[in-house]
Amino acid sequence: MSLFAAMQTGNPLGQLATAVVLGALAIYWLLPKPRGRSIAIGTFAAIASAVVLVSWVVRRFGDPAPDLVGNILFWLFSAGAIGFGTIFVSQRNPGRGAIAFAFVILSVCGLFLLLAAPFLMAATIVIYAGAIIVTFLFVLMLSHADGPTDENDRTREPMLGSLAGFAFLGLVLFALYQSSPAAAIDTNEAEYVLPARPVSGEERAALLEIAEQLSEVTKLQDKDAILEKTKLMRDRIAEIVGVPPTSVDAVAVPSRRKSIPDRLALLTDPRSLATKKLGEEIRQMNVKAFNALENNLLSKANPSANDIQKSTEALPALREKLIYLAGRGELPARNVANIGYVLYSEYLLAVEMAGTILLVATIGTVAIATRKRISA
Amino acid sequence: MISVWHYLAVAAVLFALGLIGFLTRRNLITMFLSAELMLQGVVLNLLAFSRFHANLSGQAFALFVVTVAACEAGIAMALFIVLYRRNKSLDASVWQSNREAGVPSSVDADALPTVAAEGADDPKLQPAGAKPQEPARV
Amino acid sequence: MSDPDLALLALAFPLGAVFLVALLATLRCGKYAHLPTIGGFAMSAAVSVVMLVNLVTSPEAHPAIHTEPLTWFSAGLLNVSFTLTVDPLSAVMLTTVTFIATWIAIFSASYMHHDEGYARYFGIMSLFVFFMCLLVLANNFLVLLAGWEGVGLCSYLLVGYYYAKPSAAAAARKAFLVTRLGDVGFVLGIFVLWRVGGYHTDMTLLFEHIKNVPPSSGTMVAACLLLFCGAVGKSAQLPLYVWLPDAMEGPTPVSALIHAATMVTAGVYLLARCAPLFVLAPSVQMIVCVTGGLTAFLAAFIALTQTDLKRVLAYSTVSQLGFMFMALGTSGVVTPSLAVTAAIFHLFTHAFFKALLFLGSGSVMHAMGDVIDMRKFGGLRRVMPITHITFLCGCAALAGLPIFAGFWSKDQILDVLDHAGHHALRYQMVYFTVFVLSLLTAGMTAYYTFRAYFLTFWGETLIPPEAGHHAHESPRGMTIPLIVLAIGAVFAGLAVEPLTHGFSGFLARTPGLHSANEAYATRVNLAPTEHPHFNLTIAAAGTGVSLFGIAVAFVLFRSGKLAEVPSPLRPIHAMSQNKMYVDEVYYGAVVKPAELLANGSRQFDGFLDSLARLVSFLPRLMAAALRPLQNGLVQFYALGMILGLAVFVSFVVFKVSR
Repeated sequence: MSLFAAMQTGNPLGQLATAVVLGALAIYWLLPKPRGRSIAIGTFAAIASAVVLVSWVVRRFGDPAPDLVGNILFWLFSAGAIGFGTIFVSQRNPGRGAIAFAFVILSVCGLFLLLAAPFLMAATIVIYAGAIIVTFLFVLMLSHADGPTDENDRTREPMLGSLAGFAFLGLVLFALYQSSPAAAIDTNEAEYVLPARPVSGEERAALLEIAEQLSEVTKLQDKDAILEKTKLMRDRIAEIVGVPPTSVDAVAVPSRRKSIPDRLALLTDPRSLATKKLGEEIRQMNVKAFNALENNLLSKANPSANDIQKSTEALPALREKLIYLAGRGELPARNVANIGYVLYSEYLLAVEMAGTILLVATIGTVAIATRKRISA
Repeated sequence: MISVWHYLAVAAVLFALGLIGFLTRRNLITMFLSAELMLQGVVLNLLAFSRFHANLSGQAFALFVVTVAACEAGIAMALFIVLYRRNKSLDASVWQSNREAGVPSSVDADALPTVAAEGADDPKLQPAGAKPQEPARV
Repeated sequence: MSDPDLALLALAFPLGAVFLVALLATLRCGKYAHLPTIGGFAMSAAVSVVMLVNLVTSPEAHPAIHTEPLTWFSAGLLNVSFTLTVDPLSAVMLTTVTFIATWIAIFSASYMHHDEGYARYFGIMSLFVFFMCLLVLANNFLVLLAGWEGVGLCSYLLVGYYYAKPSAAAAARKAFLVTRLGDVGFVLGIFVLWRVGGYHTDMTLLFEHIKNVPPSSGTMVAACLLLFCGAVGKSAQLPLYVWLPDAMEGPTPVSALIHAATMVTAGVYLLARCAPLFVLAPSVQMIVCVTGGLTAFLAAFIALTQTDLKRVLAYSTVSQLGFMFMALGTSGVVTPSLAVTAAIFHLFTHAFFKALLFLGSGSVMHAMGDVIDMRKFGGLRRVMPITHITFLCGCAALAGLPIFAGFWSKDQILDVLDHAGHHALRYQMVYFTVFVLSLLTAGMTAYYTFRAYFLTFWGETLIPPEAGHHAHESPRGMTIPLIVLAIGAVFAGLAVEPLTHGFSGFLARTPGLHSANEAYATRVNLAPTEHPHFNLTIAAAGTGVSLFGIAVAFVLFRSGKLAEVPSPLRPIHAMSQNKMYVDEVYYGAVVKPAELLANGSRQFDGFLDSLARLVSFLPRLMAAALRPLQNGLVQFYALGMILGLAVFVSFVVFKVSR
C-alpha cells in the first residue's frame, strides 16, 4: 500500500502530500452538488486525512506527552475547530452552517485560552456570537427557499477549489516543517530558522529548579553539604546564560543550543534587550558568586560560621535574578491590564484608526443599505 | 508541551478550510463566514506567536483583526441586502455581467434534485356525510 | 530709461494687451476688449517714436542699440540668444507698424462693433502686433523666425476669422500653406547661413563673420535664394502671391493692417536687413528685381478688370510689393543704401495710403451692408463725403500724382531702376526691361485705381438693397482714422524726404546698410552715392504715365464703356478677369498631382493596414483561447489568484528556502 509505504519512509513530503490529497478528495466529496456527492466516502476520506495529518504533525513537531491536561484540551479544541470547520464548509443548509461556524468559534476560543489570551477569548465569543446571531437572522430572513437552490446546492469548481485550498495547506505545513526543530534534527542543522523564544520551557523549568536549590543552600551551615549541593549548579547556570567571554575559567559548555543572551544578540526590541541584559548580568553574577563561595570555603580546612555565611551571601541575589529570567519566557499575568497598557501606549495611533474605521464602516453600512428612492 | 508548530498547523488547516469555502460555496453569507474562518486562522497564528515570544503585541494585533472583521461584517451585510434586493437571490454566480465580451454566460449543467413538495404524498380523507343544504333565500 | 528697455517695453505693451483681452473675455467683458488693444498699441507707438527721436538725435554715425543677449536655447554648436536691436531701419519700421496699427485698431472698434468674436478679434490683433514688433526688432535669425511664424499664425486666425464661412476657412488654409512653402526656404536659408556664418544665428555677428570670411559665391547664391524664397512667400510675390487676394475674406481692417501695411512687407524688411548678404550675390539681386517686376506687372494687369473693390486693392498691394522688390533688386548695382532706402520709403508711404484705401473700402462696405462688388453701387461721393475725399487722397497717392506720398517713393524706385538700367555691369538689358515694365505698371496702376474710384464714387447714386435705408457716412470712430491716414497719405512723403533727404539720410545710417555700402564700394570700386537725387526726367515720365492712366479711366468711365471690351482685346480681358488662370494652373499642376499622390498613398496605407491587421490577428487568436477565463465570476477569479499564489509559494518553499 503506497499510503502506508509513504508513512513508513519518513519522507516528510510524501506523507504530507498523502494527507493533502486525501483531504482535498474528502472536501470534494462532501461539498454539496447535484450529482456525485457522497457524505460517507467524504467522511471516511476526511478521517483518513486527519489521521495521516495528525501522525505527521506528531512525528514532525513532537509528541506532547508530559502535559497531559493541556494536551487533551489542545487536541479536543483543535479537533472541534477543524471538524466543525469541515461541517460548516460542506453543509448544504446555511443555517446549520452558521451553527457549525459558531462551534468553530467556540473551539478556537478554547485554543485562545490555552494560548494565554483570556481577554481575546471573551471578546471573540461576545463579538462573534453577536455577529453570528445577526448573520443567522439574515440567513433566516433572506434565504427561506423551500426546495434546493443554486446557491446552497451547487458549488463553483469543487475539485479545483479544494485542491487549491489543500495545496495551500500542504505548502504552509511544509514550510512550517522546514523551520521547525524537527527539520533541524532531520537535516543535522544546528540552528532554527524560526526566531527562538526568549526562554524556552525547558530552560524555564531548569531555572526554577536551580532557584529552589539555591534557597536551600543559603540555609545550610555545613561546608561539605554546601559544596555537595553547589557542585554542578554553576555549570548548569552557565549552560543557560553562557559564560563571560573574558572569564579565565571559561569552560566550553557542550550544548546544541545557544545561551539566552547569544540567541537574542540580533534582536533590538526593548523586551529582548532587557532579557539579554538580564542574562548577561546573571552570567557575571554566576561567576562572581561561585568564585566567592569557593574562595571562602576551599581556602581553609575548617571555615568558621562567619566564612560560611560570607560564602553564600551573594546567592540570594542570584536566585532572584534567576526567577526573573524564568519569568521572561511567559506572558505576563493580568492579561487585560497588560493588553490595555500595550494598546494605549505602543498602539495608540492604531487604536484611534481602528475606531475611526469602525465609525466610517457604520456610516457606510447605513448609507449602503438605505433604500434609495429612484425618481424616474 | 504543545509547541507553537502545533498551533500553527491548526491555524493553517482552519485557513485552508475557509479558503475552500470561499472559493467553492456560492451562498454569499456562507462565503462571508468562510472569510471569517480564514481570519480565525490568522488570529490563531498571531496568538501562538504572541505566546511563543512572550510578547503581547500579537494579542493587540489580534484585537485589531477582530475590529476590522467587525467592520467587514457590517458592510458585507449591507451589500448583501442591496444585492438581494436587485436579484432576489444570494447566489454569487448571478453577478457575472462583468465578463469579456463574447464569452457566454456560465450555465449550471446539472438539474437540481427535485424534492417532493411537503404533503403531496400524504393520504387524503374523502369527505363524508351529506352536504348541508343552504336555506332557500326568500 | 535706456533704449534697450524701451525696445522691450514696445514688445511688452501688445503682449500685455493680449493677456488683458483674454482676461476680459474670461470675465465676460468682451465688449471692452478694444480698450487694452488701442491703449497697448498707442503706448507702443509712443515708445517707438521716443526711440526714433533718440536715434535721429544720436551723435553716432551709425547708431544701433542692442539688448543684453539672453540665451534662449543652446544645443551643441547651435546657440540662440534673444537679442533685440534698434537701428534706424527697425525704428522706422516699428514706428510705422505701431502707428498704423493704432489707427486701425481705433477704426476696428467701430467697424467690428456688434460682432460676436469682438474679444477674439482684438486678442489676435494684439498678438499680431506683438509678433510683428518681435519680427522687426529681432537681431537673431531664429527670434526673427519666431516673429515671422507668429504673424503667419495670426494672419491665419484673422483670415479665418469668420470660420463658419467655408470660403474664409479655405482662404485661411491657403494663406497658411502657401506661405509655409516659402518658410521652408527661409528656414533652410537660416541653416545654410548658420553653417557658413561661423555658427552664429545673431545677425550682427553672422554678417561680420561672412564679411571677414566670405564663403564661396555658390553658397552665397544658395543662401540668398533661400532667404528670398521666404520673402516671396510672405510678401506674396510670383509665384506664391495667390494667397493674398483670397486673404481678403478676413475683416477689412485686418486686410488693411496685415495684408497691406505690415505683415506682407516683412519680406521686404527681411531683404533690407540682409542687404549686406545680398550685395554679395548679384545674380540673386537680378532674380529679385525680375521677380518684383513681373509680379508688379501681372498683378496690375489682373487688377485692371476686377470688379471686387477689395480684390483690386489686394492685387494692387501685390503689385506695389513688386515695386519694392524691384528697388531691392538693384542694391549692389546702385549704392545699396539708395536701393534699400527707396524700397523702405515706398514701404513707409504705401503703409499709409494702402491702409487708408482698405479702411476706406471698409467704410464703404460698412455702409453698403457688406457688399463689395463695384458694379452694385456707385455715386457714393454724395452719401459718404469724408470717405470719398480720403479715398481720393489714397488713390492719388497710389497712382503717384505729384505732391502725394506715393509720388516721391515711386520716383525713387524708378530712379534707382533707371540708374541700374544704364549703369549695371552685368544684366544691363534685364534691368532696363524691368524699368520699362515698371513704367508700364505705373500707368496701369493709375488706371485701375481711378477706375475703382470712379465706379465707386461717381456717376448715378446706386445703393444695393443689402444696405437697407441706412446708407450713410460712417461714424466718427471710423472717419477719424481715415482722416489721419489721409493726411499721412498726402504729406508723409513730402514731409520727410524730398526737401531734406531726411528719411534716406537717416536710413543710410543703419549699420547694416553701411557695411553693405562698403562691400559695394570695394566690389565696384566706386564711392557710394550718399543721397538720391531728384531726376526731373524720371519724375515727369512717371507722372505722365500716371496721368495717362487716369485720363483713360476717366474717358472710359464718362463714355460708359468701362464694361465694354472691344473684340480684339477680349482674350486679354478674359485673362485678366480670370487672374491669368493662375489658380487653375496651380490646381492642375500642384493640387491635382498631390491629390493623386495622396490617393495612392491611401491605397498603400490600406495595404499596410491589412498587413498590420494580419499581425494583430495572431494575438487575437491566442486570446481567443484565454478569453473564457474572463467569465465574470468573482469566485473563479479568486480561484485563479489562489492557484497562482500556490505556485509562487511552492517556488518559495521548495527552491528559495532550501
